[in-house]
Amino acid sequence: MTAARRREIQQAYALLTPALLLLLTVLAYPVAWEVWTSFTDLSPLKDGSAEFVGLGNYRHLLGDAKFQRAAVVTVVYAAVTTVVKLALGVGFALLLARPFPGRAVVFMAVFLPWAYPASVSVIGWYWTLSPPVATAYSLFMGNMKHAVDALFGSGAWAFLSVTLFNIWRGSSFVGVFLLAGINAVPPELFEYALLESRSAWQRFWLVTVPLLRPFLALAVFLSLTTAFADIQNVWMLTAGRIIFPVIGTQAYWLAVQGGQFGSASALSLTLVPGLLAVLLLLFRIFDPPQEDRA
Amino acid sequence: MIERRWKKWVYFYIPLTLFVIGTLFPFYWMLITAVRPDEELYRSWRAVNNTPFWTVHPTLAHVQDLLAKTTFPRWLWNTFFIAVVSTAISLVCGLFAGYALARLNFPLAGFLGTSIFVTYLVPPTLLFIPLADIIRNFQLGNTPWALILTYPTFLIPFCTWLLMGYFKTIPKELEECARIDGATRFGAMARIIFPIAVPGILSAGIFAFTLSWNEFIYALVFLSSPEKKTVPVGVVSELIRGDIYFWGQLMAGALLGSVPVALVYSFFVEYYVAGLTGSVKG
Repeated sequence: MTAARRREIQQAYALLTPALLLLLTVLAYPVAWEVWTSFTDLSPLKDGSAEFVGLGNYRHLLGDAKFQRAAVVTVVYAAVTTVVKLALGVGFALLLARPFPGRAVVFMAVFLPWAYPASVSVIGWYWTLSPPVATAYSLFMGNMKHAVDALFGSGAWAFLSVTLFNIWRGSSFVGVFLLAGINAVPPELFEYALLESRSAWQRFWLVTVPLLRPFLALAVFLSLTTAFADIQNVWMLTAGRIIFPVIGTQAYWLAVQGGQFGSASALSLTLVPGLLAVLLLLFRIFDPPQEDRA
Repeated sequence: MIERRWKKWVYFYIPLTLFVIGTLFPFYWMLITAVRPDEELYRSWRAVNNTPFWTVHPTLAHVQDLLAKTTFPRWLWNTFFIAVVSTAISLVCGLFAGYALARLNFPLAGFLGTSIFVTYLVPPTLLFIPLADIIRNFQLGNTPWALILTYPTFLIPFCTWLLMGYFKTIPKELEECARIDGATRFGAMARIIFPIAVPGILSAGIFAFTLSWNEFIYALVFLSSPEKKTVPVGVVSELIRGDIYFWGQLMAGALLGSVPVALVYSFFVEYYVAGLTGSVKG
């Protein structure tokens, strides 16, 4: 090993030290704690030390009807929001792709829902969609809620409000992001496509989508991971009541209210395989094996 | 000709208008609620003089209430301070780590890169329970440092990964030229690579800043006294008491707390877009 090579390795580790040090001191213990706890029956309500129960918590979850429901809702929530956000985002990006008078203003309007801190814009949404009694709108929105719940079953209104908020905020980001992607494609490619293709539809699927593939993949990845682990928005839009069971809020509730640290950890960790699967799938699309970039 | 104009309306103006109304209406609603006097807020929907979409008597009473009766300016300052410091820490860590992973050849590079990224996937839902132990051990409870220490755990992975992508798009030759002219590796990194990467850095910075301004759970758990709180937690915990919602003040808080952020972003938005593009294409 030459001296230069050794120096390079030393430099690499020196540069990585701050990031690794912070992650190790702050994150390693909590993650290890969560994994370990998921195999025990740890609870602050219980006397004595926690007992090791192996895969008991996980086994118990799989047979639990509440878990199954939460898992289904989480997956549906992530899938629905991602699909709608992609559709709307592609719409934004295509509308804004060519210059027109007032484009800068429209761009700001599209960007604002994402740029605006979600933790406070969600309050505005909560007021709009579920005003408590004794406000001007409670009767009207209450009737809406009952109509929706009667049509699709109870909890449908809560699902709708959480989904709408997520879509409102997320499609803004996807739109801005895909617009960046379209701008990064050399315009000659689109001009060439205009000559070679028969319809706008064909052009969209055969040219625009493949060119935007890395951007689409990343947008899907971010959308799915945030939706899977979403707890804050669900929490605030339902005023902290569990009428909208996703895995995140259920785990939080189980730990904070129920004191069941063991099962709550197991519950929260059930999200990891799903996220890993998404990640692997997207890396296949994102970085396809040996394909020439013509 | 007429047919073309029709098409333009159907495929362009109408969808565009709908999109803009959809994105902006919630903000309009927040504004109108913030300036609506209480007797209008709590008037029946069916009242004869009800005006759901505007108000005849705009008032600043809610804003005054917010500023006088709560510690709102303190919350704003806390949020800003915490967001700036944790973003700065994460950017520095992300810059160094991203550069090393993108440019240097060393054993375990792939493993470390993947590990940093995978930490982004751990659901943060329950991490606050063990994190509370750490905060207690360092005696940081109820101080801004509790959040400044914990926010980088979800900011660093993202910054590192975004900046690594951006560094990969910068031609190696630029750096090699500087090295041949006698610059050290760190010199070339600081004087050649970082200035070129400014769009990527801004992009990562804006992302990190938004995430920390948004954070709710850790801020709720680790800060307890009212004057230490951040805007999201303060607004929710001090203006919702039991089932009583101070709606006008809540909306005023939601607006005042975020308009500055949204304005600052609008200045950086082009860099932001350029930064994202660079990172993904690389």
